[in-house]
Amino acid sequence: MRELTFTAAAREALAEEMAQNPAIFVVGQGIGKRGGNFNTTTGLYDLYGQERLADVPISERGFVGMCAGAAMTGTRPVVDFMFLDFILDGFGELVNQVAKMQYMSSGRLKMPLLLRGCIGVGGSSATHHSGNYYPIFAHLPGFRVALPTNPYDAKGLLKTALRTDDPVLFLEHKSLLNTKGPVPEEEYTIPFGQAAVVRQGTAVTVVAFALMVRKTLEACEQLEKEGISVELIDPRTVAPLDVDTILESVRKTGRLLVVDETFGPCGMGSEVAAQIMEKGFDELDAPVRRVYGAHTPIPYSAPLEQAAVPQVPQIAQAIRDLVAE
Amino acid sequence: MAVEIVLPRLGWTMEEGTLVEWLKQDGDPVKPGEIIFTVESDKALNEIESFDEGVLRIPADSPPPGTTVPVGTLLAYILAPGEAMPTGRTTTAVATTAAAPTAAAAVAVSSRRSGPPISPRARRLAKQLGVDWSQLKGSGLSGRIAERDIQAAARAPRVSPVARRLAQEAGVDLSTLAAQKPGARLSRQDVEAALAAPPAAGESAPLSSLRRIIAQRMGQSSRETASVTLFTEADATELVALRQRFKEALGPRQQWVPTYNDLFLKLTALSLAEHPALNASWGEGAIQMHRQIDLGVAVDTEAGLVVPVLRQVDRLSLQDLAEQSAALAENARTRRLKPDQLQGATFTVTNLGMYNIDAFTPIIDLPQCAILGLGRIALRPAVHQGQVVPRHQVVLSLSFDHRVVDGGPAARFLDTVRQYTEQPHLWLGR
Repeated sequence: MRELTFTAAAREALAEEMAQNPAIFVVGQGIGKRGGNFNTTTGLYDLYGQERLADVPISERGFVGMCAGAAMTGTRPVVDFMFLDFILDGFGELVNQVAKMQYMSSGRLKMPLLLRGCIGVGGSSATHHSGNYYPIFAHLPGFRVALPTNPYDAKGLLKTALRTDDPVLFLEHKSLLNTKGPVPEEEYTIPFGQAAVVRQGTAVTVVAFALMVRKTLEACEQLEKEGISVELIDPRTVAPLDVDTILESVRKTGRLLVVDETFGPCGMGSEVAAQIMEKGFDELDAPVRRVYGAHTPIPYSAPLEQAAVPQVPQIAQAIRDLVAE
Repeated sequence: MAVEIVLPRLGWTMEEGTLVEWLKQDGDPVKPGEIIFTVESDKALNEIESFDEGVLRIPADSPPPGTTVPVGTLLAYILAPGEAMPTGRTTTAVATTAAAPTAAAAVAVSSRRSGPPISPRARRLAKQLGVDWSQLKGSGLSGRIAERDIQAAARAPRVSPVARRLAQEAGVDLSTLAAQKPGARLSRQDVEAALAAPPAAGESAPLSSLRRIIAQRMGQSSRETASVTLFTEADATELVALRQRFKEALGPRQQWVPTYNDLFLKLTALSLAEHPALNASWGEGAIQMHRQIDLGVAVDTEAGLVVPVLRQVDRLSLQDLAEQSAALAENARTRRLKPDQLQGATFTVTNLGMYNIDAFTPIIDLPQCAILGLGRIALRPAVHQGQVVPRHQVVLSLSFDHRVVDGGPAARFLDTVRQYTEQPHLWLGR
């Protein structure tokens, strides 16, 4: 099978959907001629021009609100924030209008709005360009949140996002953009709320998000040599969250670790732990453990930046400890 | 007001004990000081007395005799006549109502969560497999009982905690025992039977815990002491005559007749009073001179050598001495000695006379500094008042630690023992 980078796979999904659906258009900074800060739209301007690849001024609340109106009236806007951190400047519009509109209109209005941006820590992006923030959106009713971790999933999930009538956050970890993986040429989509069992194992279940899936996979390879068999689950979407797959795995292993790059309090680890305790208390052979990032703004200094988020040795040790518990 | 009777803590390290036997039955009246039941701890069998007066009531869910239960387990109530038995425990409190006469009173706090921590998954599996996890220990870093511990317990032979510990100490392979009794729960009796069975020629016998202790202490003494043994022969004719008179006088009156051992214990204690240098212990950088004369009495039991202690023997009347030593020897044979009855001797007397041994070199029981060995009392030709005549002779063997005491004082002490053996009238009045 051919191999594509993460970015190329996601761009292919956008290009294919734009070709099929003339209602799709993209707004953002530098997404026109320039092809996007992260090459999300490279080559599309030449095909569709500035009407469908519209560079807009830096005014998040303005263009988010405008796109919300456009979505309600039958188009399918894609807002490209570059860095997801800037979504916060449109947060009021998103929470109060975008997420609630279908409910407020008893379903008469749709909100097919795609919100995309890069997340995560890496490359000394510093404190305004390293945010993750997806737990906030998973907390709020009305959003769907996709966290692809490989090119195949990026394409399949973006296609689904561009076909749903709900507002979707499509979040790409900076450190994953250039990773390559097999992507079939034929058409496929990946439904939301379906976790992937990345690796089968028997001793412990690890649920990891975004880049942490790759880091945990590295840890698993070390641990396999030590005789520790890890089952790794990538939820792929955090809203909806596929608790059933996690629960099924915990039924097998009895032990659960959640690895998340972002902050611990009220985070994905808290949510997964709570749901597993509610639905599978009797399956647990040890307390649910979490590994998560430091509760701090992300530093610019590269060593400090690395120290602020979970690394492979730390994840491996957490797994060893949990298995020995 | 109902008084709770719980399994008492008989020593600070005791976590559990076996309720052996009720000496009062359900419905019996009890008075303070009366023994109501016996408990086996790891060291001894203990008699537990009541501190209260009333009627003993044993609830239906009380553990049956023979079961090992944690300290603080409710066993019974003492109620006023006609009072109804409480349903369930009413207090979180403290049961101090029953205790061994010699041990500190038990303080047992009942708590809602009893037993070791266990994971929900392990708890569910234990229920499915019918595994009693209350005595299990978790294998993990946290000590929590996990699924693997329940699986192991389900595979392992069912063994009572006492039996498990005994087997562990003695190196008995439980799986071999379990194979001989498939499906049965292995008890202390099973392990003891395995230990008692003589090994076939060519096989090795596992060490009992008592054997290990004896080996350790004898080895230590042999390595550390500067041991010298002195022998002297005493004419015991007068002593034999004295005992004969005691027998004739006391026997018909159902009183305790002192044994030869008792007579030697008494005269040894009085000799020690005159030679305090021998009533001493070797310690770190100092020699401890003892105020009391507490004699260890070596007793040969089926399980091995035990040395219970008689206190202040120099001050005991012969009658009391005879009575106490008989009780100690009996308790030693039935393993009913309490821990404090085995500790703190200042000097030891050991007797091999009944096995027709004349003289031997006893090993000093550290930290004591000397031990007296008694040989058999036998008729031998002896020079008495210028004539060779048959006399009752006995050889006295004294081993002493030359680090603590020199040959002179030791010899003078042994000579006093010889003199007292030959002339009981010298000490009989004391």
